[in-house]
Amino acid sequence: MRALAPRRWPLALRVPLLITLLMIGIAAAISKLVLVRLEATQAAHVEELSGAYLDGLSTALLPAMIRRDPWEAFDALDRSRARYRGVGALRVLVVLPDGTVLAASDPIRHPLGAASPEEASPAPLRLEPGAATAWIHRAVSEGGVPVGRIAAEVDVMALAAERRATLLALVGVNAALTLLFAILGWLLVRRMLRPVLRLSERLGRAAEGRLEPIPEAELPPADTEVGRAFRHYNAAAAAIAEREALLTRLAEQERRALVGRYASAMAHEVNNPLGGLFNAVRMIQRHGDDADRRSRAASLLERGLTGIHNIVRASLILWRGEADARPVSAADIDDLRLLIESEARRRDLVLDWQHGIEGSFPAPAQAVRQIALNLLLNACAASPPGGRITVRAGVAGGVLTLVVADEGPGLPVEARRLLTDRHEAGVPQAGGLGLWTVARLVRELDASVQLAGPPGTHVTIRIQDAEHRAQLPAAA
Amino acid sequence: MRRTALPARRRLHRRALLAAAATLAAPRAQAARTVTLGLTPVFLDSDIVLVRQIEGHISARLGRPVQVVKRRTYREVTSLLVAGQLDAAWICGYPFVQHRDALEILAVPLYRGAPLYRAYLIARQDRGAATLAGLRGDIHAFSDPDSNSGFLVTSAMLADLGTAPGAFFARSFFTYGHRNVIRAVAAGLAQSGSVDGYVWDVMADLEPALVGATRIVQASAPMGFPPFATSRQADPGLARAFRDALLTMPETADGRAILATLRLDGFVAGSPGLFDGIAALSRRARAGG
Repeated sequence: MRALAPRRWPLALRVPLLITLLMIGIAAAISKLVLVRLEATQAAHVEELSGAYLDGLSTALLPAMIRRDPWEAFDALDRSRARYRGVGALRVLVVLPDGTVLAASDPIRHPLGAASPEEASPAPLRLEPGAATAWIHRAVSEGGVPVGRIAAEVDVMALAAERRATLLALVGVNAALTLLFAILGWLLVRRMLRPVLRLSERLGRAAEGRLEPIPEAELPPADTEVGRAFRHYNAAAAAIAEREALLTRLAEQERRALVGRYASAMAHEVNNPLGGLFNAVRMIQRHGDDADRRSRAASLLERGLTGIHNIVRASLILWRGEADARPVSAADIDDLRLLIESEARRRDLVLDWQHGIEGSFPAPAQAVRQIALNLLLNACAASPPGGRITVRAGVAGGVLTLVVADEGPGLPVEARRLLTDRHEAGVPQAGGLGLWTVARLVRELDASVQLAGPPGTHVTIRIQDAEHRAQLPAAA
Repeated sequence: MRRTALPARRRLHRRALLAAAATLAAPRAQAARTVTLGLTPVFLDSDIVLVRQIEGHISARLGRPVQVVKRRTYREVTSLLVAGQLDAAWICGYPFVQHRDALEILAVPLYRGAPLYRAYLIARQDRGAATLAGLRGDIHAFSDPDSNSGFLVTSAMLADLGTAPGAFFARSFFTYGHRNVIRAVAAGLAQSGSVDGYVWDVMADLEPALVGATRIVQASAPMGFPPFATSRQADPGLARAFRDALLTMPETADGRAILATLRLDGFVAGSPGLFDGIAALSRRARAGG
């Protein structure tokens, strides 16, 4: 029902409708005015005509009325009939002061000496809307002495018909004009709104991530409102495209920096067991005949190679740059430990690592790993030498909870706002792209972030499983 | 030149003035006095043509100008005639018998071959009354209080019934014209009327729609037709010439045109005895009143 509310109707419909309503109002007011004026004019016309008629009639009837001569009075009425045909008198009565009829144009209906009918009683002229006739009156006196009165019923059907014809003409013309203006209004408004609707359509597409500039050839002149709006839109589209390109470039740079850092970490991790491995190889070369020593050396070789294998595997998974949409598993968390251990060791940090994840959890593994790794790297960077980094991961009630805590000085205000404000999309002015990546992924996963500290930094991320997320309304 | 010219012009002026005076004085002394003829409304709504025809015919016969004088009522015409202010008049039989001593008959019109006519009692076509008695309580239209057929006959009949118009009819009025009586009854202003039978008959031809709305309830016995009369004081020569003009009317074309308009056959000399019946009615009416 709300969709049908008038304020939701399109402008192209609302404006012509408004014009139509205004036209109807104006037409009704004008029609009423015209009819009132016409009625007044008609009444004045009837008064004038009946005045002249009654003047002539009373002059002709006066002697007969003074003498109370019924024949003379009738004769005067009879002769006036042809003379005053234009008046349209249907019935004329000559009434004596005692209220009896002296003569009537229709003596059979109103015989001599009968009482004058009620409807012929003296009253001001009134043109009733549906009335076919009206009564006009004239008191007749001689030397100030009343000698009777004349009452005539006149045909006003023609006047009523004229009023009706006028009304019909007004209604017809006004209806035609209203319709014409409504159609014109609709066409004009449609034409005027077409560029606005086009702009609106393009802005709508921008919400889907496609802010395409309007081709130069389609731009209206710059000195028009629409032309300016289109150019502003193009400028905004260009600015947004530039910003997106910048962000992409920054993210790529950050990724490369990470790659560099971990290439060196990985080299370190690979290099560490290499001394032992070479010793094992030399042991085999020197004491290869000794089965016991050979076996120990081989075992040493295997463990060293396994360590290198694990490091290489974890790095491959993390950096191969492909979207990894498989559910996150306990191995993903363990791989992180392998990746971060060397950094922790280098900084002389203690890792307190516990997780209770069994099997897999329905959340994209790569995104979870990225979040955790960035938080861990941040914690390592913030922790003082000999500090402790606490990592907890667990699943409960369809929620994966990941906690990373350190004993550093705590997150700066901008970093806190970046993580906790879901609408904060600004790129950090300098550095901190790791936390920005966390914030972006958290928004994508619709996860929640809880911060505690100082002292230290205590970040808790809660990620709902994919099924729960699917039930939530789409993020705006 | 100036001295000889002036006396000549003066002589001319004197002669001219004398001649003019003689010319102006002579016609005044010798001019024939206009003869006046009184008329009351007959049956025509507009009788101006008839009046001009009558003036033309009689004027031609008399060799003197004739002027028709019309009055609304019989009494006015009769009074003018008796007073000698009219040379002749076409009057009703009733005024004639009222002023028999002062008036002399010139000629009596012949209607349907006789100098006689009847009085009719009429009512609207849809009335069922068959006699005067059936008209009791009506609004009744009379023609003229001095009209024989338009008043006297009905009054005498009512007198015979032992009543009078004022008592017998609910209301009565005079229309001063037989044609008006027919109009009043036809329109319903009056429920019945007293009318000249000759006028009703002629109008039945001329205006059948109007007369057709009425019917004859009762007709009287034949009576003397309204005569042309003159005062006994009038110039006998003029009276003779007048009578001659009337009696010879069928002999001339314009005279026949007049008679055709009036639906009359001609004139007879007539005699006072022709109106004895009317005189008797007058006595009966007076006796009743």
